[in-house]
Amino acid sequence: MRAGWSLVAAMALAAGGALAQGEPIRIGAMYPLTGGGAIYGVPAMAGHQLAIEEINAKGGVLGRKLESVERDDKMNPSAASATMKELITKDNVHIVLGGLSSAVGLGMSEVAKQEKMVYIATVPKTIQMTSDKLHKHVFRIASNTDLEGDTLAELVSKYKVKNICHLQLDYAYGHDLEAGFLKALPKYAPGSKVVLTLKPKLGATDFNAFIPQVMSAGCDGVVSGLWGPHFVSWVQQAKPLGFFDKIKWISGGEIASHEVAVSLKDEYPDNVISNTYELWYHSQDPMHKTFQAALAKKLGTQETPQWSMLGYNGVLFAAAAIEKAKSLDPDKIAEALEGLTVHTPVGPLTIDAKTHQSNTGQFWGPMVKQPGKDYRVMSPVEFIQPKL
Amino acid sequence: MTLTVFALNALYGLALAMNMFVIASGLNLIFGVLRVINFAHGVFYMFGAYLIYTVTKLWGFSFPVGVLAAGLGLAIIAFFIERLLLRRLYGQEHLMQLLFTFAIVLLMSDAAKMLWGTDQYTVGYPPAFTGAVNLGFVVFPQYLLFLCVVGPIIAIAMWLLVDRTRWGRVVRAATQDREMLAALGVNVQMVYSAVFVLGSALAGIGGALAAPRLALTPGMDATIINECFIIVIIGGLGHLWGSFLGALAFGFVVQFGTVWVPNWQDVLPYLLMLTVLLIRPWGLLGRPEAGR
Repeated sequence: MRAGWSLVAAMALAAGGALAQGEPIRIGAMYPLTGGGAIYGVPAMAGHQLAIEEINAKGGVLGRKLESVERDDKMNPSAASATMKELITKDNVHIVLGGLSSAVGLGMSEVAKQEKMVYIATVPKTIQMTSDKLHKHVFRIASNTDLEGDTLAELVSKYKVKNICHLQLDYAYGHDLEAGFLKALPKYAPGSKVVLTLKPKLGATDFNAFIPQVMSAGCDGVVSGLWGPHFVSWVQQAKPLGFFDKIKWISGGEIASHEVAVSLKDEYPDNVISNTYELWYHSQDPMHKTFQAALAKKLGTQETPQWSMLGYNGVLFAAAAIEKAKSLDPDKIAEALEGLTVHTPVGPLTIDAKTHQSNTGQFWGPMVKQPGKDYRVMSPVEFIQPKL
Repeated sequence: MTLTVFALNALYGLALAMNMFVIASGLNLIFGVLRVINFAHGVFYMFGAYLIYTVTKLWGFSFPVGVLAAGLGLAIIAFFIERLLLRRLYGQEHLMQLLFTFAIVLLMSDAAKMLWGTDQYTVGYPPAFTGAVNLGFVVFPQYLLFLCVVGPIIAIAMWLLVDRTRWGRVVRAATQDREMLAALGVNVQMVYSAVFVLGSALAGIGGALAAPRLALTPGMDATIINECFIIVIIGGLGHLWGSFLGALAFGFVVQFGTVWVPNWQDVLPYLLMLTVLLIRPWGLLGRPEAGR
């Protein structure tokens, strides 16, 4: 009996000890988990969870476990802002990661500013977040519209596109990518000009009004920011016309990702040159192999999506910053993030202390057929580091 | 703009117009006879699109079977909605009916999320119409050409039904004076029921026909209902050929709007409606309602 009691006492002590170590560190994460954006948001969240599991398995941060508080941002800026406020005030998170659409990213950044809460944008690319609307508590580990626009212009020159049809979605990402591209175009391809600019709506599924415009504008190449589902719909509606036989499609928006390759399979057109953050079949850093294997195990598929790495890297930066700050004070975490370097599956990345933007590069290349595969793969793969 | 480019855009506008006509004509028919503004028409259209996805993509049936299933499915849903619920509201004021159809919108869009989830789906062009056809001066997707043909066929079929059959005469009489009609021994309830079922089936068929030219997402019912109202109001509430004309105006304004004034593409249909309302408040082919 005595032994029994002392066991209970020991357990109580152990529990007390755990409490003394502190509650878990709560990491808020918001991605679109429903609707058109879910094709990217769900894998990003999976990467987020993987990083948290791995860090907890190694004992957590500052001796405390990480707890993931996950929410659907619904790709809607006003809903996302409200959800983020709830994360901060009700769920008492210590840092917020995520966002996917640039419009949502801007909304979340605004909440971060008001509530003085650190927000690391893992996917949104609008340049505004790290230029005009930069503030102490917002950071970005995605690429951005200036970097992407710069590379698009470089590719226009490389593939000798003379007359450009410019397609951008009518919201923050599309507008800023357009500006980034137009800024860089004279530098790389002074002889090329934009002959047509069209701006379909975010979330549009019917591109029939736009396709004949592009086909009759006399352009030899399209520069585009139609990402994911937009590109898929465009291809299905335009391909019967032989659209891609004559027109080169140079695109941002990660349509070279394996997710998009798989959702189109045989329908994926020729003449597409695009980007992706990660390719499961291409490792340039030893860490990628272990990361990819763990992700494959978690998702139950060898062919893992690229968005997971962004969710994963977000947690790596958050954990490293808290470790470095030795505090959960948002101001201290923000200071720790400035100039912080973290080793990621694509190599070491550093957040610039001034712009709060990391030097995240992307893989760029043409999407080609390969024997024995029913989806397209990028080949040759070129990793383009930010030059700005 | 060359003539070829103009013709190509006109064809695209026509395809959109004809698809929209199929959907809007159902809304128009229901309003014309029942005097009910059916907000749920958009969500019926969405169900039609999702049904053809399930029937052709998941169950492997052919495209025509899918279209029929969508029409039939919506007819059944509409039958029960009318029989069990809507018919209790005919005598009530418009606001009650509006609230009721809006409740149907909320219920059915949540049901759609439960049944089909929130992913984006594509149906793709049916095997018979996957390619493009060379019309001599332009190359045009076969499926869109098919839509250009289907619209007028449905329009003529509806005109024959309403204008040339005994049942059509009864329907027209029901819009004029239902008490008199009932006094003559016609089962007016049955007429109302049939009209609601037919109108809703048109929404389902329209959704099934629209599915290949776009992608299916949970919010797709919200925009279509506004567009249908624009078409019906432009043409004149309750007027079949008015809706046909309204659909044509809508299709061309959307298509040529994206060509000539791309920054105004969202507002143009509304501007068109406003203009028509200012000049002819009863629509292009409608008649001013005397003494109502």
